[in-house]
Amino acid sequence: MRILKKTFVVGIVLAMTLSFAFANGATEAPVATNAKTELVWAVWDINSTAYYKPIIDAYQAKTPNVTIRMVDLGSADFMTALQTQLASGSSEFDVVTIKDIPGYNNLVKKNMIVNLNDYIAKDKVNTKLYGGTAEQITVGGNLYALPFRSDFWVLFYNKALFDKAGVPYPTNDLTFAQYDALARKMTSGSGAEKVYGCHYHTWRSCVQLFGILDGKHTIVQPPYDYLKPYYEMVLAEQNDGICQKLATLKASSIHYSGQFQNGSIAMMNMGSWYIATQIQKVAKGEAEASKSWGIVKYPHADGIAPGTTLGTITSLSISQGSKKKDAAWDFVKFVTSSDCAAVIAKTGTLPAIMSDAVVNEISAMPGFPADANSKDALHVTKAYLEMPLNDKAGQIETVLNQCHDEIMTYNITVDAGLKKMSEQVQKIIDAK
Amino acid sequence: MQIISAKEKAIQTIIYILLILCAMVMVLPFLWMLSASLKLDKDVFSFPVQWIPSHPRWANYQEIWTKIPLMTFVKNTVKLTIIVTLLQLFTSSFAAYAFAKLDFKGRNTLFLGYIATIAMPWQVYMVPQFVLMSKMGLNNTHTAIILLQAFSAFGVFMMKQFYTSIPSELCEAARVDGMTEYGIYCKIMLPLSKPALSTLTIFTFVNTWNDFLGPYIYLTRQELKTIQIGLRMFISQYSQEYGLIMASSVVTLIPVLIVFLSLQQYFVQGIATSGLKG
Amino acid sequence: MSSRKAIIKKNLVAYSFIAPNFIGFALFTLVPMIFAFILAFLDWDGSPYNPMHFVGFKNFVDLADDGQFTAAFRNTLVYTVQTVPFTLVTSLLLALLLNQKCKGRNFFRTVSFFPYVASMVAVTAVWNMLFNPGMGPVNELLRKLGVENPPGWSADKDWAMTTIVQFSVWKYMGYYMILYLAGLQGINPELYEAANLDGCNGWQRFWNVTVPQLSATTFFVVVMLVIQCFKVYDIVYMVTQGGPGTATLVMVYDIYNKAFVYSSFGAASAEAIVLFALVLGVTLVQFRGQHKLEA
Repeated sequence: MRILKKTFVVGIVLAMTLSFAFANGATEAPVATNAKTELVWAVWDINSTAYYKPIIDAYQAKTPNVTIRMVDLGSADFMTALQTQLASGSSEFDVVTIKDIPGYNNLVKKNMIVNLNDYIAKDKVNTKLYGGTAEQITVGGNLYALPFRSDFWVLFYNKALFDKAGVPYPTNDLTFAQYDALARKMTSGSGAEKVYGCHYHTWRSCVQLFGILDGKHTIVQPPYDYLKPYYEMVLAEQNDGICQKLATLKASSIHYSGQFQNGSIAMMNMGSWYIATQIQKVAKGEAEASKSWGIVKYPHADGIAPGTTLGTITSLSISQGSKKKDAAWDFVKFVTSSDCAAVIAKTGTLPAIMSDAVVNEISAMPGFPADANSKDALHVTKAYLEMPLNDKAGQIETVLNQCHDEIMTYNITVDAGLKKMSEQVQKIIDAK
Repeated sequence: MQIISAKEKAIQTIIYILLILCAMVMVLPFLWMLSASLKLDKDVFSFPVQWIPSHPRWANYQEIWTKIPLMTFVKNTVKLTIIVTLLQLFTSSFAAYAFAKLDFKGRNTLFLGYIATIAMPWQVYMVPQFVLMSKMGLNNTHTAIILLQAFSAFGVFMMKQFYTSIPSELCEAARVDGMTEYGIYCKIMLPLSKPALSTLTIFTFVNTWNDFLGPYIYLTRQELKTIQIGLRMFISQYSQEYGLIMASSVVTLIPVLIVFLSLQQYFVQGIATSGLKG
Repeated sequence: MSSRKAIIKKNLVAYSFIAPNFIGFALFTLVPMIFAFILAFLDWDGSPYNPMHFVGFKNFVDLADDGQFTAAFRNTLVYTVQTVPFTLVTSLLLALLLNQKCKGRNFFRTVSFFPYVASMVAVTAVWNMLFNPGMGPVNELLRKLGVENPPGWSADKDWAMTTIVQFSVWKYMGYYMILYLAGLQGINPELYEAANLDGCNGWQRFWNVTVPQLSATTFFVVVMLVIQCFKVYDIVYMVTQGGPGTATLVMVYDIYNKAFVYSSFGAASAEAIVLFALVLGVTLVQFRGQHKLEA
């Protein structure tokens, strides 16, 4: 009996120890040998992003002794996941992609990315090529990232729907009033056949940021009364069935891409990153109802030049914990260079260096709408950053999102909502 | 006699009706999931709801294996789940025996301390824990996930409650017979706690199987990732491939259901006091 | 053997039982937890390159004036107070129902377990779809039944919390049903026989035999439910994202925001301690109550 019991206990302990032995996952990345260096690049959506591979191929052709290994942190919480990863001071990542400004702010505050001033001076990188975006992410005279992609907002429209309704296409010079009128004209049908004149995705930037296009305010500047006319326009559109209600969109996890591809939307304000996606979907035959499409410049307020729009930058930085900073810099320098801009442009994505050559490249892409207006829409007069650099960007963004939600779902009136937003943001700004 | 059987029949019918109603409430969302798994992404959320898709897209079930390395993810998840479950079962029941049946110094305080830690949400100490694990070199290893999940106070609490309901006379009798505590644990407590162990197995299995945040933070290398991370990969900046999400959810539900079905019978099994009778 | 030696030996044996679980737990969970506690008195942004400053009770004081915190505190309490009783009653009823002998019992048991088992991403998408205020099946049904203005569910600040509570009850029912089933199996049938002999009917059997016998299980269920409700995060994140506005913002959600969005780990930890103290207080009260019952 005793022996049986002892064997039993020993057996369990063995099983546990063995299970530990098998538990170990992959071992650490191999140390560089033969002067071959591996750089680890933090990115998102590897499977659905067209430009990663061409960039890596181009770089590895130029610099054969360096390999790039990408790590996908997912797009949903990319900046949060990145900050968590870097929190341990690990040397795991060398090059990191910066997805948004609040995240960039945090990384700079936390000292997690390298100040690139010295590298830029040493290699004489011309930051003016980036059309003013580099200046917008300079903190106290220091630049911590270089932009390699810049996107701006345009108006997508479904040519087939306009043809069917006998309505002339939108032009590159639409005021908000004209845009609203056009959307109302284009709304028709009901039930499964319904066509919506316009569509606002669930991000607050789709509605709120109309208000900053006259350059008089930034979104981190209360009071927010200047947003009132835009909210009223959109709420009226929701009420009249010109666009889908935010409540419905959120509850159904409806993605704007599906809606546009379905042919149920006549016009949609969205970022230029969608151009590549739309081209792909049409090419795959999954977007029959929207295969005839075009873009025009973003609608503008009265008295403001057309081509004024919202902009977002995607940039590259070097992780503070990286042990291969010089090698990482070489890669960053390449990706943000004019040579690489051409590589990026070929995939239908807009690089940060938007020269005429690049514009031609993109508009010449198979699948890009052939009309002159679409090509012209790629020229930006002035781009305002969606969110300017601000220490308290995270907190402010939370309040902006909450109030936007409430207003758009009729849980609060526009006036009360904007007042609440102004008060809360002011409180955040005033707090020590 | 007739009155009783009519009454019994009525009760039986009521029970069946209630059961079917409950089952419908539980199952309806899954029927929708099944139907959604056979649709193209843009049709998944279209209204009015099409319960039976007009063109079932069986290709979805093929695509989920090729678009993401789902097989690798499944293998990783199976491995993690089995190891964590075994470890939890053993260490929790072991510790619970002491708390339930042994009298020792500091028992109540220690137990209370254990339970208290369940009250702390994981998000709070997630980062210090991650930093600790990284410094130990355990970042991007399955070992990290195992160490995080295998030693929980929850398992101890649950097993202790079950052990409390087993009469102490059984243990006293064994002690009088000269058995050591280890012997009592192996020969008396373990066999009697099959319902409790099965319950803990199911809970631990499901928890580890569905865990998202832990693997998300610790496993950034593709070959180590688990199913839940895989599912989220269908949601990207450019689209949300819900058809594929539903299909993979259906597929990954199956192992859990198998575990549940096989452990179910232990709930029906014999009860604690059979020891006293026999 | 002297009695003192016997006591020491007894304690050692007991500790040896606890050791495997406790050592792993202490090292990988307790240590970070303690560090997180200490963080509440510091000001830290989560960076290994930036120092931590000691700020005493400032983080706690700041909470009092924090609109997000007050909303979160209130919402968490409301959520718990609604979810716990509903889940308790439904899971007990379900367990009683599924303890009866009937055909297909295994099938029904498995089916009740579905909501708990399925992946959160999929299930919340389904739930949101079903309760879509515009064209979801639930509201369509309500309209057909003559309800003119069906609730806006997750988009309406008055109904959003109810939606979350409903979802939680639905999801947790099966989980706690299992616990009750296991508990029901442990009840000695002789007790029921004795009650029958005494002439008790079904209702009296339930109150005089079943409920008392389930006391240990019920205690466990209530404690775990309360803790689970106070700690809710995933459900809120997936169903309403804390909205509309702050209608469903709960404490863990706010803690997450403070830590990962605002990079204020000190403030996050302070709120976590408040949550912890709350849960601990409630749990202690429950333990006291249980001891009185058992005495």
